[in-house]
Amino acid sequence: MLEPINPKQWDYRLAAHLLNRAGFGGPPDEIERLAKIGFDKAISYFVDFDRVSDPTPAPAWAKAESEEQWEQRSAARRAADPKQRSQIDAMRRSQERKNLSDLLGWWLKRMANGSRPLQEKLTLFWHDHFATSYEKLENAYLMWLQNETFRRNAAGNWTRMLEEITVDPAMLVWLDQHTSNKRHPNENYAREVMELFSLGEGNYTERDVVETARALTGLALDKTRQNYVYKPEIHDEGAKTVLGKTGNLDWQDVLKLIQLQPQSQRFIAGKLWTWFAGVPPSRELTDALAEELRRSANHFQPMLKVLFSSQEFYSPEVLAAQVKSPVQWLVGTCRVLGRELPPPDTCDSMLTSLGQRLFFPPDVNGWVDGPDWITTNNLLDRYNLVERLILGDPGRKITPAPVAKLFTRAELADKAAFLAALERRFFLVPLEDSQKKTLFDFLAARRALDDATVQQTIRLALSTPQYQLT
Amino acid sequence: MNPPTTLKTRREFLRTTLLGGAVSWTVPAFIDSTFTALNSEAADKGPQAASRDGRIVVLLQIAGGNDGLNTIVPFTNDHYYKARPTIGLQARSLIKLTRELGLHPSLAGLRSLIVGGQLAVVQGVGYPNPNRSHFRGTDIWATASDADKFVNTGWLGRYFDNACAGADPTVGIAVSRQRPLSFAGKSGKGINVDNPDNYRFMVSSKDDAGTMATTQQSYRELNQSSSTMAADAAASINYVKRVALDVQVSSDQIIARSKSIENKAKYPSSQLGNSLKLIARWIAGGMPTRVYYASQGGYDTHINQPPAHERLLKDLGDSIQAFTDDLKALGHFNRVLLMTFSEFGRRVKENASTGTDHGAGSMLFVVAPKVKSSLLGKYPSLAPADLHQGDLKYNVDFRQVYAGVLEGWLQTPSQPILGQQFEPLALV
Repeated sequence: MLEPINPKQWDYRLAAHLLNRAGFGGPPDEIERLAKIGFDKAISYFVDFDRVSDPTPAPAWAKAESEEQWEQRSAARRAADPKQRSQIDAMRRSQERKNLSDLLGWWLKRMANGSRPLQEKLTLFWHDHFATSYEKLENAYLMWLQNETFRRNAAGNWTRMLEEITVDPAMLVWLDQHTSNKRHPNENYAREVMELFSLGEGNYTERDVVETARALTGLALDKTRQNYVYKPEIHDEGAKTVLGKTGNLDWQDVLKLIQLQPQSQRFIAGKLWTWFAGVPPSRELTDALAEELRRSANHFQPMLKVLFSSQEFYSPEVLAAQVKSPVQWLVGTCRVLGRELPPPDTCDSMLTSLGQRLFFPPDVNGWVDGPDWITTNNLLDRYNLVERLILGDPGRKITPAPVAKLFTRAELADKAAFLAALERRFFLVPLEDSQKKTLFDFLAARRALDDATVQQTIRLALSTPQYQLT
Repeated sequence: MNPPTTLKTRREFLRTTLLGGAVSWTVPAFIDSTFTALNSEAADKGPQAASRDGRIVVLLQIAGGNDGLNTIVPFTNDHYYKARPTIGLQARSLIKLTRELGLHPSLAGLRSLIVGGQLAVVQGVGYPNPNRSHFRGTDIWATASDADKFVNTGWLGRYFDNACAGADPTVGIAVSRQRPLSFAGKSGKGINVDNPDNYRFMVSSKDDAGTMATTQQSYRELNQSSSTMAADAAASINYVKRVALDVQVSSDQIIARSKSIENKAKYPSSQLGNSLKLIARWIAGGMPTRVYYASQGGYDTHINQPPAHERLLKDLGDSIQAFTDDLKALGHFNRVLLMTFSEFGRRVKENASTGTDHGAGSMLFVVAPKVKSSLLGKYPSLAPADLHQGDLKYNVDFRQVYAGVLEGWLQTPSQPILGQQFEPLALV
């Protein structure tokens, strides 16, 4: 179980698989580079991302408001008449929206062009795992702060991640924990922290939820609602029993008790495997991954190295069998088309229609990954949106993809060579003979491989079931 | 752009494009077996086998856990006001159903249906060992499983499998981007449509007509070409191929039939309103669909419940009113049963944030041409001694309601679909 593959097997196909899963895919020259540097170095390039410098600055607006600023703003709002107040509120909402759009562009760019693809892939994983929506927060700064917490702990320590998220201001608002107090404990976070974040349904009792809610009281926000504070006066000091242990438990005690359950490693290790492999793990595999996590004192990085090196990860049922998430589809398509991302608002509407609007997960359970990404509706959307990514769309400020640059002169001079290059660039799942014949017939009816023909052929090729997989 | 006008059933589609000789490549195994089944069961019997009298079910998910207690209010019950000193609704504001029960005032849209004997409130709906998780709760309702069993097919998917052999994939339409788990079944029938205007393969109008036609033709071929379903092929590729095929079978008729009809009622401009508006057009336009699925979210009212709940119920009541008025005007109301559901009700006692936490045992609405009674089931007791961990106890298993829909309305045996025999609730 979890034995590394033989480094001699390392080739273009396996390197492409790693680039797709640990990152967001990429063009043939990147895959060739990974194939050439060898297995160990390729794995290390992704997993040891803390050794690669990351010069991306934070967005200029991403700063907490000081207490004075907050006081001033609140006073101005209080002093305003109802009409002015609604104008003030509208202006603030629109500024927040603008910042959020900027944040989306900032993050997508990190995915598409950043120096640490696995860190961004994991940040996306955590956003899906601790799914928090702007819908309720209406605060771009808090979304950014949480995104940075995901990034900072992306391959870090599981215990630490859970602690930081429990006191993350966005999470405190999202699951109402900041409104909870000893007289009226709110169960929302208490339930989800066990059900969705750390143990899974069936690994705790309803009583544990009720008692955890009491233990978690004390967590609060300052008056600006941007910073976590602990308020001992609202903490329930009575005895509680959580996961079999009784005492005057507080939030840190509860998180420790959760982490002491072997299920907490199994739960997150299994979920990470599913995320990267695209198929659920066997029981034995889950146990083996959880064991790796335990061995490294809950540190993800060594486990991820084992995962990405393992024979299981490169097995036939894993290779090329994952349905691309909309984010993977969008970022990956831009990368293989050698094009820049569309502007943030366009990306936002594309991801919305494909069912994965970042910063707006459908609920606290996150998105439903896997084949469910594809419905009749979403498949057609993918086929129609890819046309815009290739041909461009001035109305949505999408430039055409520089398709001619993707192929050599020799490839553009010969239709068979062109189709072979097209397949190599875009497909890990081979097209069928009948599909190749369709594309060949399409080309045969055209005189030359001019730009329009190259564009249309790529569009058709990417409008296939095979392209939806990675 | 030329709006495509040809309507094809799956059967015609398969025959003309796959077996008609125009296309010479191998027939994929799964299409082949589908076709064989079609041939033996339904081929050449005219249009696809419709349900009896062309009856239709519209399932309306109200997601997040609707507060049943504040939807239908026991306004003479002291326990109610004691448990809900802040958010309890006062008797005078309610739409009275009986001397003890009243509807939330925002549901005024439902008044004419109540008067007409076309709306039933099913009270005290739930199941044994209720689960307070949104996700598990929703899955239990979708799969109709026992609370301690995990099932990966939905009750409507099993209805399609059991009772709709030979039907088009459009036998079920969910107005959504994501497929509801209720639709999951072995035969994979049921499609998703978010906006019919975009429900087609678009070719840039820069090209001349001839080129556009060639591109369309190539797209069709590329997405039919699932040659052999190799045994070792990943399940995911086979799944996407089938969806690609369903798209082609359904695209033309989805567009044409949503355009052939004009709505005759004014709907709220909400997501729910728009979904029901579309469904009314498909029904009147002659889609062979038996089950429609629409949803409305936002019922997870942990905080500051009153204004949110008011807004949601108003949207719900007004949308249902518009939908039923529309169907009546279009002459199709007699074919339609609409049923709402929510994954759970809420805790009897309000919380510290002027809201309510997850609970159990709740209620649902059924709208049909003629219902047995405007109140079905019993209103659960609110006496603290009668509660289970602060939650209402159910007296109608939700699967009895499903059995009532299947047997009483769709006139098909419910046992093979629900996996157990439930006493059908007499709805209609």
